[in-house]
Amino acid sequence: MIILKIWSVLQWYLRPFIKWFLRKTTRLCELQRICYGEQAGAPRTCSVEKSLMLSRTQCVKEIVTYLDNVVNERRFVSEYFTDILDPSISIIMRAKKINPKLHESFSVSFRKCLESIWSYKSLIIAIEELRCCQFDSNNSEHEKKLLRLWDLLVPDDKLEARVTKKWQHIGFQGDDPKTDFRGMGILGLENLLFFATEYPQASSHVLSHSLHPKYGYTFAIVGINLTSMAYYLLQDGSAKTYMFNARNHLPSINLFHRFYCYLFFEFDKMWIESKPENIMEFSIIFKRFENAIRTELADPATVFRINIEIDTI
Amino acid sequence: MGFLTILKKLRQKEKEMRILMLGLDNAGKTTILKRFNGEPIDTISPTLGFNIKTLEHRGYKLNIWDVGGQKSLRSYWKNYFESTDGVAWVVDSADARRLADCKRELRALLREERLAGATLLVLANKSDLPGALSLQQLREALELDSIKTHHWRIVRCSAVTGENLLEGMDWMLDDIASRIFSID
Repeated sequence: MIILKIWSVLQWYLRPFIKWFLRKTTRLCELQRICYGEQAGAPRTCSVEKSLMLSRTQCVKEIVTYLDNVVNERRFVSEYFTDILDPSISIIMRAKKINPKLHESFSVSFRKCLESIWSYKSLIIAIEELRCCQFDSNNSEHEKKLLRLWDLLVPDDKLEARVTKKWQHIGFQGDDPKTDFRGMGILGLENLLFFATEYPQASSHVLSHSLHPKYGYTFAIVGINLTSMAYYLLQDGSAKTYMFNARNHLPSINLFHRFYCYLFFEFDKMWIESKPENIMEFSIIFKRFENAIRTELADPATVFRINIEIDTI
Repeated sequence: MGFLTILKKLRQKEKEMRILMLGLDNAGKTTILKRFNGEPIDTISPTLGFNIKTLEHRGYKLNIWDVGGQKSLRSYWKNYFESTDGVAWVVDSADARRLADCKRELRALLREERLAGATLLVLANKSDLPGALSLQQLREALELDSIKTHHWRIVRCSAVTGENLLEGMDWMLDDIASRIFSID
């Protein structure tokens, strides 16, 4: 513990010297070394983020604060990217004495990193907003979404009443799902709805597993617990690996939903493979699942994809 | 000295208590547990399975078991009855519709042999909500006054505001302590 502490203090003092030495020998600044040397995706983006956060250069610090403010004002959206990022990039390039003509590819990949880093920060705010919005029976939008979830999951059985025991078929606790969303708010419903809409095969495959007489579980409640897990992985930054490695996609609400769908699909697999004695093993298996996901996300090369093939057999 | 005696001695020394939190789903068991433990309570999802928290309070080591309350889980409650010192029965005071359910489950619980010696604390949660029933109404609806087999008390509380949670817990701990730690 103490050794670790001494090491981190030492690193803080040594960092400028190491950077100076590398700068002199490679004739590249740290950001360039990262953008040229690190693999695109999570490895590069995370390193750029770390470098920017640790930077002691005044103008870099100012740019970071500026971009954070843009995010907090909810203005970090793609149509403003040029206005926001072009000046920021040129200021940093000037400060780091990078010739824009010689290093065109640098500015391209650096921009991609900035887009990812601050889109992730925007996403945290957007998701928090959805989570804080409680499910409200008086809100017709919320009610419509809930009923649509039923229609998507159980298309051949119409609900004859809004409050009915039938909700338990898709794994809600009682006869009215509204109290089940709890701390996850409308985010829990949006997640389930996305899973049913975008992955109809996978979600019905998972739903049918949840109805298994011996290894069954409550589909919707497990789903809401997985929303909670995805939410925490996003909050503590573990989900960066997934988000930054998604090709051609910036972190967005849709990407968060896809992340959730992956978690659901994989949890179901692990649950069935574990052959649980009964539903009370949920707490243990869920914890084990979370640890496995965290281990995978700790590897910057991790890419998650739902493998639907088994579904179509 | 037998193994069990040693265990008992150890238990006395540490002043350990085992508390079981039960009640219908959406009563607020997990929220109460988290509030009691000083954790944030705004990101809770429905409990499938159970949560365990070990915490120190007034020199006692409390093992609190919070088991999910949804109907399909209730048949598993019995797996957690062994050596329980106190039961905290959590009621949603604003859910008049399911009080009959709540009474039935509580009755069934009190008939359990393995809970015979346990102290019963009824937590009338969500008392801050509009439409919450009064203590007297709950007492009658749950027919608490007819309970002769257990030491019991009902406390009006709110996990969100924190009102009366400690008072209730403290009464239960005192009651348990006077029973199991006063032998020496």
